Amino acid sequence: MAFLANIVLAANVEGESSPVDLLLPATPELIAGIIAFGIVFFFVWRWALPAVNRSLEAQQKAIGGKIEDADRVKAEAESLLADYQAQLAEARATQNEMVEAARRQAEALKADILAKATAEADQIMTKAREDAAAERGRVLSEARGDVANLSIDLAERVVGESLDRQTHLGLVERYIAELEK
Amino acid sequence: MTDRIDGYAAAVFEIARAEGELGRVEREFLAVARSIETSPELRERLVDARLPVERKHAIVHELVGGRASELTVNLVAFIIGQGRASELPVMARRLAQQVAREAGGELAEVRAAIPLDDATIERLTAALSKAVGRQVVVRTILDPTVMGGIVARVGDVVIDGSVQSRLQSLRAAMKN
Repeated sequence: MAFLANIVLAANVEGESSPVDLLLPATPELIAGIIAFGIVFFFVWRWALPAVNRSLEAQQKAIGGKIEDADRVKAEAESLLADYQAQLAEARATQNEMVEAARRQAEALKADILAKATAEADQIMTKAREDAAAERGRVLSEARGDVANLSIDLAERVVGESLDRQTHLGLVERYIAELEK
Repeated sequence: MTDRIDGYAAAVFEIARAEGELGRVEREFLAVARSIETSPELRERLVDARLPVERKHAIVHELVGGRASELTVNLVAFIIGQGRASELPVMARRLAQQVAREAGGELAEVRAAIPLDDATIERLTAALSKAVGRQVVVRTILDPTVMGGIVARVGDVVIDGSVQSRLQSLRAAMKN
C-alpha cells in the first residue's frame, strides 16, 4: 500500500494530466507497440503455436502409445494368468485323476489280495477237513481191523479148543455133502 | 529146480517101491514135509549151512525117529545132507503125485484137524473125484491149523471147507 501511494505520488509530481492519460501510453508509443505486438503475434501464430501443438500432439501420442502398451502388457499378463490357471486346473485334474487311478488300483489290489487270502484259507480249511476225514477213516479202519483181528483170534482159540470129535465129524460130513451136491 | 525135485522124488519112489514100503514112505514123507512147512524154526535149522550135517540128522531122527521107518529116516537124512531140506515138501508132494498116478488117479491132498477113518476117506475120494471130474487118490494130512472141516487140493484146485478159512473170510469181512 505504501508502494502504490508512492506511485500515485510520483504521477502527481510529473504532470498535471488527467488520470486516464496517466494510464495510456503516448500515441506513437502505442502505434509502435501495436506493430510490435502484431509482429510478435504473427511469429507466434505462424511458428511457435504449431510447434507447441506438434509437441503436445507428440506427447499425447506418446502417452497414448504407452497406455496401449500398458493395455497390451496387461492383456498379455491376463492371458498368461489365464494360461497358468488353465495349466494349474489341468495339473489338478491330472493329479486328481492319478490319485483316483491309484485309489482304484489299490482297491483292486486289496480285493485281489483279499480274494486270494480267502481262497487260500478255504483251501487250507478244505485240506484240513479232508485230512481230518482221512485220518478219521484211517483210525476207524485200523480200529475195525484191530477189533476183527482180536475177535477172530479169540474165536480161533475158542473154536480150536471147544470143537469136540462129534462136531469135527459133523464138519467133515458137511464138507462131503457139499461136494456131492 | 523142478527137474532136480522130480529126480529126487522119482529116486525116493523107486527106492521105496524096491523096498516094498512105498505106501508108508509116502505117508511119512508127507508128514515130514508137513512138519517142515509148519515150523519155520525147523526149516531154518535144516537149511542153515553152518549147522553140521550130524546135527541135522539128529534133528531128523528126533523128528520122525520113533514113528517113522528106517528107510524114511535114511532118505530124509540123505536129502537134508544134500542141502535140499527146503525142497523136501515139494519132493514129498511129487512123490505122492507119482504114487497116486501109479494107483491110477490124481493126488488129492486132504488136510483135516482130526484123523479120518477109511469109510470117510472112501466117500471123500468119490465126492472129490466127482467134483473135479477125474479119479483122485486121497492122501490125508493131519493139520490142526484147519481147526475144523477139510481143505482139499487137487492139482491147482483148492476146495476149502475149513473153519479156519471161514474165520479168515469173516475177519476180512469185518475189516471192510
